[in-house]
Amino acid sequence: MHNVVIVGGGPAGLSAALTAAVAGAPVLLLDSNPRLGGQYWRTPADNFGDQNENHFDLATGLKLINSVKAQSNIQVLSGAQIWSASHKDGVSTLRVIYQGSEKIINTGNLILATGAYDRSLPFPGWDIPGVMTPGGVQSLIKGHGVVAGKRVVVAGSGPFLLPVAAGLVKSGADVVELLEANKSWRWASSILVLLENLSKIKEGFYYIEAISKGKVRARFGQAVVGAYAGENGELESVDIAKIDRNFKIKKVRNIKCDVAAIGWGFTADTSLAGALGCKQVVAKDESVVVLIDSKQQTSITGVFAAGEITGIGGSELSMIEGEIAGKSAAKFVGCAVDISRSDLIIRAKKQRFAAALIKAYPIKSGWRSWLDEQTVLCRCEEVDLADLKDSIVELGATDSRTAKLLTRCGMGLCQGRICGRFVVDLVADQLNISPTDIDRIAAVSRPIITPIPLGVLAAGE
Amino acid sequence: MKNPDAIVIGAGVVGACCALSLTNAGLKVLIIDRGPVASGTTGAGEGNILVSDKGPGAELTLAIRSRDLWFDINTDIGGGFELEAKGGVVVSRSAKGISDLKKLSALQKENGVEVIELDGAGLRKIEPYLSESVEYGVLYPGDAQCQPMLAAAQIIRAVKKRGGSFIQGENVIAINSNAGSLIGITTDKNNYSCPIVINATGTWAGEIAKLAGSHLPIMPRRGFILVTAPAPKIVHHKVYDADYVANVASSDADLQSSAVVEGTASGTILIGASRERVGFKADLDISILRQLARQAISLFPVLSSIGLLRAYRGFRPYAPDHLPVIGEDANISGLWHAAGHEGAGIGLSPATGELITAQITNQSTFIDPTPFSPKRFQGSEYVAV
Amino acid sequence: MSQFDIQFTFNGETISAISGQSVGAALLAAKQRTLRKTRFNQKGRGVFCGIGVCFDCLVVIDGASNQRACITEVISGMKVQTQVGTNA
Repeated sequence: MHNVVIVGGGPAGLSAALTAAVAGAPVLLLDSNPRLGGQYWRTPADNFGDQNENHFDLATGLKLINSVKAQSNIQVLSGAQIWSASHKDGVSTLRVIYQGSEKIINTGNLILATGAYDRSLPFPGWDIPGVMTPGGVQSLIKGHGVVAGKRVVVAGSGPFLLPVAAGLVKSGADVVELLEANKSWRWASSILVLLENLSKIKEGFYYIEAISKGKVRARFGQAVVGAYAGENGELESVDIAKIDRNFKIKKVRNIKCDVAAIGWGFTADTSLAGALGCKQVVAKDESVVVLIDSKQQTSITGVFAAGEITGIGGSELSMIEGEIAGKSAAKFVGCAVDISRSDLIIRAKKQRFAAALIKAYPIKSGWRSWLDEQTVLCRCEEVDLADLKDSIVELGATDSRTAKLLTRCGMGLCQGRICGRFVVDLVADQLNISPTDIDRIAAVSRPIITPIPLGVLAAGE
Repeated sequence: MKNPDAIVIGAGVVGACCALSLTNAGLKVLIIDRGPVASGTTGAGEGNILVSDKGPGAELTLAIRSRDLWFDINTDIGGGFELEAKGGVVVSRSAKGISDLKKLSALQKENGVEVIELDGAGLRKIEPYLSESVEYGVLYPGDAQCQPMLAAAQIIRAVKKRGGSFIQGENVIAINSNAGSLIGITTDKNNYSCPIVINATGTWAGEIAKLAGSHLPIMPRRGFILVTAPAPKIVHHKVYDADYVANVASSDADLQSSAVVEGTASGTILIGASRERVGFKADLDISILRQLARQAISLFPVLSSIGLLRAYRGFRPYAPDHLPVIGEDANISGLWHAAGHEGAGIGLSPATGELITAQITNQSTFIDPTPFSPKRFQGSEYVAV
Repeated sequence: MSQFDIQFTFNGETISAISGQSVGAALLAAKQRTLRKTRFNQKGRGVFCGIGVCFDCLVVIDGASNQRACITEVISGMKVQTQVGTNA
């Protein structure tokens, strides 16, 4: 039936699917969203009309999506959620919730391209309705034609803030502040890398043009360090601080806004890779990523990975990784295809760019000084900093796992996707130690990948 | 801590209760664990404090006493572990099951357990979502529940406040004795002189006993627990199928499972219970999770739409004669064992602590400790498998 | 601009939406930002991550609780309610 199963319908997964299929391997592509494109090429339903306005290279995405749809040996299952997976004796078993019931897919050849989501850091008031992630704000515009509010503050760190601010301006919102925590001169250290990726400069100017039309001024070395609610319990204003190079607060001012879109780069979602038993490592930005070799193969033979889960690096790196993984997977099932020299050169170029990004936008530890005792850490279970400290100081927890068991931090519906990463840092901070790789990797362990209704679980084989 | 009066090896709920009991009796106690608090079976426990699942005998007597002691401890240390006198409901749907349950509850009643028989209507008054297929059950108001990791942590905190200490991250590598008398222990980091040591290492108690040349055939009996997403209040008591009692008492190594369902203070619903002897096999067995889900839905049909959020597994410390080991070592005086409580560790810990402390301090014990003595395994054919 | 062709209710009040929108997006467009009250501290929460990862945007839809508003597509006649703790 199909020789290659691919999980994830974003830039990496789509590229992998098309490449493998063109090389002769029938592909089954599983995606949890209703429409292909992942987060990066998020598109609305057909009745929303032309969306090119809101996206720099949506044309690339649409072309790839249409090619995948047109390719006769690619079968797409949209709205498919994998809840559990395991690997044994060369076979990966994926347990999928699809159209209300369970589907078991066994495969000897798998490509994981499960992507990433916005990385959040806590601060007093970050749980007030109106505080969102940049990805959330962008998804509302791109996918649903909705602008989250009128007066918007965009803040955090990383190049992703630019397209989000641009999208807001184009949609008629007033972006009252665009704040980058790091200093603008950080780019100077990576000027050569920038030059080698000219398309990125073009993209940058596209966004800068858009935001300058909205008279938005970007400020560097500033961050949102507090949020306040009005009488209705919803966002009314934020505290903006000038911060030093370690992100410690120097001076604070308050401004009114109804939406704050705040993000600090991305966190890869490696839950599926971890459940299968693929080896994970800690990357230079301290995120947990899947270990791969030059063929994009993980520590498990026949299981490949591409895109953000191998290291946060953006859509172009994701696409070339997808192509290489697609070729490797096709070759694994006997197709006559080889990774070319130019594939490797392009990937290396994109990897250098990704590495430069990480270097240009570090997240410094001073953010921990923004918290107060009542700052919520685990949003799902309403565990605050005082609770976490108590579990360590009073109840003797000496690692994240024990702190989790004693406070319920990370045990709620999102299973630590939002808080897990920074709780490891806070626990280590409290104990005056450095977080270990083991702690970081344990924080992303999710054998049950997404909640499954007990009735569906019971009905399965 | 230099020169403790007693060392407790194991910072799970049993070790914690032993330490508290000894501390309250005036001893300076050092707790040692190779990991953090509740890093063994306690960290995978459900929090059961049951009188309902034991037939008349030494264990039931221990359970009744222990249940009451939990409430004393709660008052003594100021709570903080979600102790709730929730009550248990045991149900059965087969003719034999009902008849056995009637017999068991009558015997339990004779032995001091409060039991209230209920028909279908009576059951659904207290458990409105219980399946219509259930027509007979027994309510045990004495059953209670707590959060076991918090219990161990809060008790150890109290022990520390009262002069005890807790050292974690040290592995015991030798138990030192002289002419049949305990003189201390050696860990991978330190040497401790002490006349009294309590082996409260649960599923690993056999390994520790071996260091002293003793034979404790305690084996792992794996169990899984399903945890749902926070749900509306569906289950008001701990509700379980009468098969559970038979499964606990079974010596079969194969999978035994029966429905056990209860809500928690945090809003999640816990679903058990499975038992199998597969050594320390760590993988998540999906077929067992499915069976637990089926059994739970059979009792509470509305659970069908509730989401499974996570599942965890633990290794119950199982002694082949189904009784915990509480008493002085057969060969070395001063070495005490408090382990092997199978799935009743949380429920039985306070009474275990009390029993051990009474024996150590030469006070009278509330129960004849002989059935629990580790000496029963001396020269026995029981082999750790 | 596309047609408002879907009608659903939020706590009894009629909300118009465009087919293909998520419940969360439609509610935000209608200025309804508080979707639930948390179960321990009754704090208001709304859409946070917008892509189905954070489980903060929970609403009760046609009696079923723990529904993520940001990834649930609007259907005409849907009865959406604020989730208070674990249910409506």
